[in-house]
Amino acid sequence: MTMREYFMRRLHRLVPVLIEQVEGMPPVDPDQVTAFAREFLQAGTPAFRLLFYAMMLALQALCLLTRGRSVYSLPPEDGDAFVRYLYSSRIAALGAIPTVLGIPIFMAHYNRDDVQVRLGFDVHGMRGEAAAREVKR
Amino acid sequence: MIVKPESLPGDVRREADVVIIGSGAGGGPVAKELAESGHSVVVIEEGEHFSRQDFDFRAGDALTRLYRDAGQTVTLGLPVIVVPQGKTVGGTTTVNSGTCLRIPRHVLKRWHLEHGLKDISEDELNLLYAALEEYLFVKRADPEVAGVNNLLFLEHAGRLGYGGGFLPRNAKDCEGFGVCAYGCPSGAKQSVNVSFIPDAVAAGADVYTGCRAERILVRGGRAVGVCGRFTDPRTGKRTRRLEVRASVVVLAGGAVQTPSLLMHNRICLSSGQVGKNLSIHPCGATLALMPEVVGNPKGIPQSTYVDEFAPEGIMLEGVTVPPAVMAITLPWGGRRHAETMRDYPFIASYGSMISEHDSAGKVVAGPSARQPLTFYWLGREDLDRLKRSILLMAEIWFAAGARRVYTPIDGFKELSGIRDLKRLSRARLKRASIYGLSAYHPMGTCRMGSDPHTSVVKSTCETWEVENLFICDASVLPTSLGVNPQLTIMAMAARAAGFIDEKLESASLREETAGRLERMRARLRSEKESVARRLSGGPGSG
Repeated sequence: MTMREYFMRRLHRLVPVLIEQVEGMPPVDPDQVTAFAREFLQAGTPAFRLLFYAMMLALQALCLLTRGRSVYSLPPEDGDAFVRYLYSSRIAALGAIPTVLGIPIFMAHYNRDDVQVRLGFDVHGMRGEAAAREVKR
Repeated sequence: MIVKPESLPGDVRREADVVIIGSGAGGGPVAKELAESGHSVVVIEEGEHFSRQDFDFRAGDALTRLYRDAGQTVTLGLPVIVVPQGKTVGGTTTVNSGTCLRIPRHVLKRWHLEHGLKDISEDELNLLYAALEEYLFVKRADPEVAGVNNLLFLEHAGRLGYGGGFLPRNAKDCEGFGVCAYGCPSGAKQSVNVSFIPDAVAAGADVYTGCRAERILVRGGRAVGVCGRFTDPRTGKRTRRLEVRASVVVLAGGAVQTPSLLMHNRICLSSGQVGKNLSIHPCGATLALMPEVVGNPKGIPQSTYVDEFAPEGIMLEGVTVPPAVMAITLPWGGRRHAETMRDYPFIASYGSMISEHDSAGKVVAGPSARQPLTFYWLGREDLDRLKRSILLMAEIWFAAGARRVYTPIDGFKELSGIRDLKRLSRARLKRASIYGLSAYHPMGTCRMGSDPHTSVVKSTCETWEVENLFICDASVLPTSLGVNPQLTIMAMAARAAGFIDEKLESASLREETAGRLERMRARLRSEKESVARRLSGGPGSG
């Protein structure tokens, strides 16, 4: 297994920790998030890729240290509390962990057509409208 | 024509009058002007070519395909700042908001006084601006499609006595689809990919896409061509080679890539200014939870402005973002994040742009020309002005009825009212306490000036050191503009195109004269030989 594959598998399990399912929203799809993240990281800088992987390791290490168990096996409420703890930390570096990890994860989920439509951004309608309205010079 | 790498049977070697590196706000106008003047023009563009049908309202996909490094380009320093740059035909103009503002008078005055650029007169620039504005259909944003978000902010800024208005934009029949930064899906935005480049191609220019210029060929102190490599967009692997021999080389890769290319080619470095003097416009942003549906991102994302505080170096400009981008700006994860995102239809947004006073930045050569390193240190004064701009936006949002305002400041991520504003106003911020900061419009890294010891290019945009090498992008602007720079970059590029045209004309005149002289010499030689033969009584002497 390549390093990238290793981290992508971990990412797949991390998705529900960062994106919580709330009422009225389409279900989170870890496969879609992982596929998007793979492409996003590939198109990006090596520095960001490394930072991203480092943050995954840091998240796991911190969780083991503070909660005594793997971040991937936390029940939803504990996962949410752990993420909240990191974001609200006075130490900027701790807040940076979920912030960096959230970039491809959140972007992937909210990039989905069904999610955008549910949030009032009717992408299907807009696409149809744009196709019918070609502006020529 | 526009040539994609996959359509090439092998390496490309060719000649042209002009080869231009980059097809954005600088390269596009130069290509059009020179192609229409009858010169053979080749444009090399690192990104891919997309048409409006490819822009599909998915911001995440657009970031991956249209932006350099999927939008992950950052400055190193405190705080880390994201500086998104386009990498596609049309450059950043394909993914900007379309705002077209002229250079403020006080900035031009500074160029005259501090950089000796008196020959760039206001009258000349105004003529260029007027021509460009007509060509690009620049007009004030139509209030009908300005978007609820922007109108609400402008109205309540006005009620507080803060002046503002509608921004001039390069859009024709804009319907306000709200995704300017991810490729205009109707073709209304007159970015370079739908204006200058098609016109240049119609006039005979060739645009090679997916090709990165790597070497500038210099012989005897003159630029004579460019070598580059094509890249497979799917695998990122380098494939075929391109070599273009040309009389003039134009560098228009932007204020980060242009100095990097010069540094890797070790040319034009004697002034010590290449890569220095980087200025950007650091931007603050606020999100506001409103009591009623705002309906973002429908409407023009950057349709209104508040310039009441422009004398302090603060411009407030509209900004709306689709869900995928808003999601990465919220300072929470888990349940809180999901619940806030569910309120997306009620969330309004606005941005601020700071023109720097005491910040400093530079671009240095990275491990490869493709990956230069950008350093930037936000100064104390600028940090305070950034905070002030966020306070002003929050004040306006609360006046508009916001229930909460979200800011990018640690400890003040969520403001609930005037009391929180006062608390933030008293706080002394640290650089690290602002997260997710972004900045736009990198400029100044190959600055123009009248002194070859302190500048990289002359006022004609030709480099001091290498003849026939011109730089036509934001890197030549000697100072921060304080306003969106695309129109000024275009104006300076169009101006430079005039000098290049003159140069090529005089070169072809010189060639013509040299040819005529050569023919005269040959005739004289043959006459001399014939006389000599006659005198010696050889054959044909009768």
